[in-house]
Amino acid sequence: MWHRLNQIRATARKRFRRSVLTRTQDGENPQQKNPAMNRNDSDRVIVSAGFWEQSWQRFRRRRLSMLALYFIGFLSVIAIFSPMIAGTKPIVCRYKDQLYFPCMGYYNRNWENPVFQKDRFRRVYPGNLERKDPDSWAIWPLVYQDPHRPVRKGEWEAMKGNPWGPEGRPTSQNWFGTYKTGFDVFASMVHGTRIALLVGFVSTGIAAAIGITLGAVAGYIGGIVDIAISRLIEVVMCIPALVLILCLQAVIDKVSIWNIMMLLGLTGWTGMARLTRGEFLKLKETEFVAAARCLGVGRARIMFRHVLPNALAPVMVPIAFGIAGGIQTEAALSLLGFGAPPPNPSWGTILHSGRETLQSGYWWQLVFPGMGIFLTVLAYNLIGEGIQEATDPRLADPRN
Amino acid sequence: MVSYLVRRLLVGLLTLWLITCLIYGLIRLMPGSPLDTDPAMMDPSKMPSKADIQRMQEVYGLDKPLHEAYWHWLKNAVRLDLGTSYSQKKPVAELIGDRIGPTLQLSVTSLLLSYLLAVPMGLYATVRSGQPDERGLSFLLYTLYSFPSFVAALFLQLLFAVKLEGTWFGLPLLGNHSNGYEELTELDRIWDSFKHMILPVACFTYGSLAYYCRFVKANMEEVIRQDYIRTAHAKGLGPIRVLIHHAFRNTLIPFVTLLGLTLPSLLGGAIILEGIFNWPGMGRLFFMSILQRDYPTIMSLTLMFSILTLLGQLLADIFYAFVDPRIRYT
Repeated sequence: MWHRLNQIRATARKRFRRSVLTRTQDGENPQQKNPAMNRNDSDRVIVSAGFWEQSWQRFRRRRLSMLALYFIGFLSVIAIFSPMIAGTKPIVCRYKDQLYFPCMGYYNRNWENPVFQKDRFRRVYPGNLERKDPDSWAIWPLVYQDPHRPVRKGEWEAMKGNPWGPEGRPTSQNWFGTYKTGFDVFASMVHGTRIALLVGFVSTGIAAAIGITLGAVAGYIGGIVDIAISRLIEVVMCIPALVLILCLQAVIDKVSIWNIMMLLGLTGWTGMARLTRGEFLKLKETEFVAAARCLGVGRARIMFRHVLPNALAPVMVPIAFGIAGGIQTEAALSLLGFGAPPPNPSWGTILHSGRETLQSGYWWQLVFPGMGIFLTVLAYNLIGEGIQEATDPRLADPRN
Repeated sequence: MVSYLVRRLLVGLLTLWLITCLIYGLIRLMPGSPLDTDPAMMDPSKMPSKADIQRMQEVYGLDKPLHEAYWHWLKNAVRLDLGTSYSQKKPVAELIGDRIGPTLQLSVTSLLLSYLLAVPMGLYATVRSGQPDERGLSFLLYTLYSFPSFVAALFLQLLFAVKLEGTWFGLPLLGNHSNGYEELTELDRIWDSFKHMILPVACFTYGSLAYYCRFVKANMEEVIRQDYIRTAHAKGLGPIRVLIHHAFRNTLIPFVTLLGLTLPSLLGGAIILEGIFNWPGMGRLFFMSILQRDYPTIMSLTLMFSILTLLGQLLADIFYAFVDPRIRYT
């Protein structure tokens, strides 16, 4: 019963995507993807490359999109290892016969062992470690600079204190210069990568969850539900996103970076909802849905197991563009002074401080974070475009 | 057609009503009221008495429960009375009238500029499709399209208003006119306004220019493969005539839709860019009205944005039928 259904689905999908059976395989790996076919004729099966596999191959052929993908991978590595790249807290240290990982404090304040607070380190590790325990050792981050405070004189061997103002230009000590009263731009940008990527992913994740669910329900169930959801989409679409965000943000008293991600998600789902709705309207008339319904498959299961995988490709495109948009909006909010509160050094926050001192011409406070935002947005847009071209059935290569 | 229009308008009214409910609810939920963001209230020596606050709340209608206040606002709005701004003590309609000029000054200029540049560039890109110069142009445009406009605004300000200040290329940093604008002669005024407009217009234009250009090219690519284009070529028509009269005319349909969708941004201004350039337009007005909890202004502007968005969509659909006789609404 089930594999008959799977077959119907498979053929429908194939017809739908206009892919042609070509690749011959002798029952090794591709069968995992389609166990039904494997069970039917086990000796020699003709299996086309799956839709996602084909798309991935087409995506890989676009050099710029791949480059963008590598760039995002690179940024993710920086984001994950940010406390090990720039920081003033040791990655690992041995202190009073115990191993500690103080750098975890950059991810979350509570992850820094309270013993250092008790021993009055006052966030300065190098001298204090030696003084309070001569046998201690530590592995330090690559760059001794902190995103939350300026480094003072004599803190680290012969290092000078961070300059600020016109002296804060890029030097070998402060690679990207300094902002405010000696905060290091490089360290802030490295740690800001975490926020930039997180904002993009989380806000778009929320938007996708809302948009896909509502769109699927509206498209599949139809009737009064569809009318209600379509009105809701229209209402949210008609209010400019920034207007809605500013209004919502004013309602929340103390805004954290998570609130901002939530707001971006809550306002950014309409495009995806519309697309998903359209796809569901189209797909619910297909044979495999009718077959599933005849077999008595539940409504939710049809929607999310049978229809959704087929509707996902067009939705991937606004997801990629949505990530780019989310990063931009967050940076713009920070620039307007509506961003996350100070302990979070986002790229927009550095821009904000650069804008305040614009007339003094401290270019490094604008150029580095600005280029960071630009390159990230560009990368996501290129990826989005790559997905668009790779998943477009009209552009499918018939020989594939 | 008429019944279609009536249906669309009714649905639009329903949407509008829902939007006003949502926004009214939201702004009344905001902590703080117009009373405690007023600078006059901050002065401790002139602290108003309890009775005064009570009186002012009554004047502003803040003492009423939410639904009553909303009903009151709605009744006035239907009669086109948008209320009086709390912070500026002027009718909101007058405030909007003051601000719409500078906003249009930027948006119309940038719209015209981007259309004028985008169409020839898009056509050029179509003709040279696949050639190195087209690839270079497309890549450049794509890069521009991804360049966040607020970053570009800051870079341009830094370059032209700070680094090149005093030189021949120097441009003003903020605002839409210099101090002492009133005393200038007519010609100097125009020159002054022009200089102030360059940077904001550039920021407004380059993104949409890139977008429209790609849009033109994408549509042209589709049309240029049609049989009737080959026929036109076979008849011996010149390449330019085929390109413009036969191909481009047929890409106008999606172009017209796009025009309808730009309507809200035309009048709505841009919150971020107007903020950066300190341009006294609608976006700036909106931003300040949220900061000052100026309820009537927030409501009026949201109402305006929403009407424009809905109207733009409707106009796009009507134009669509107008340009393409195959489309009929019933």
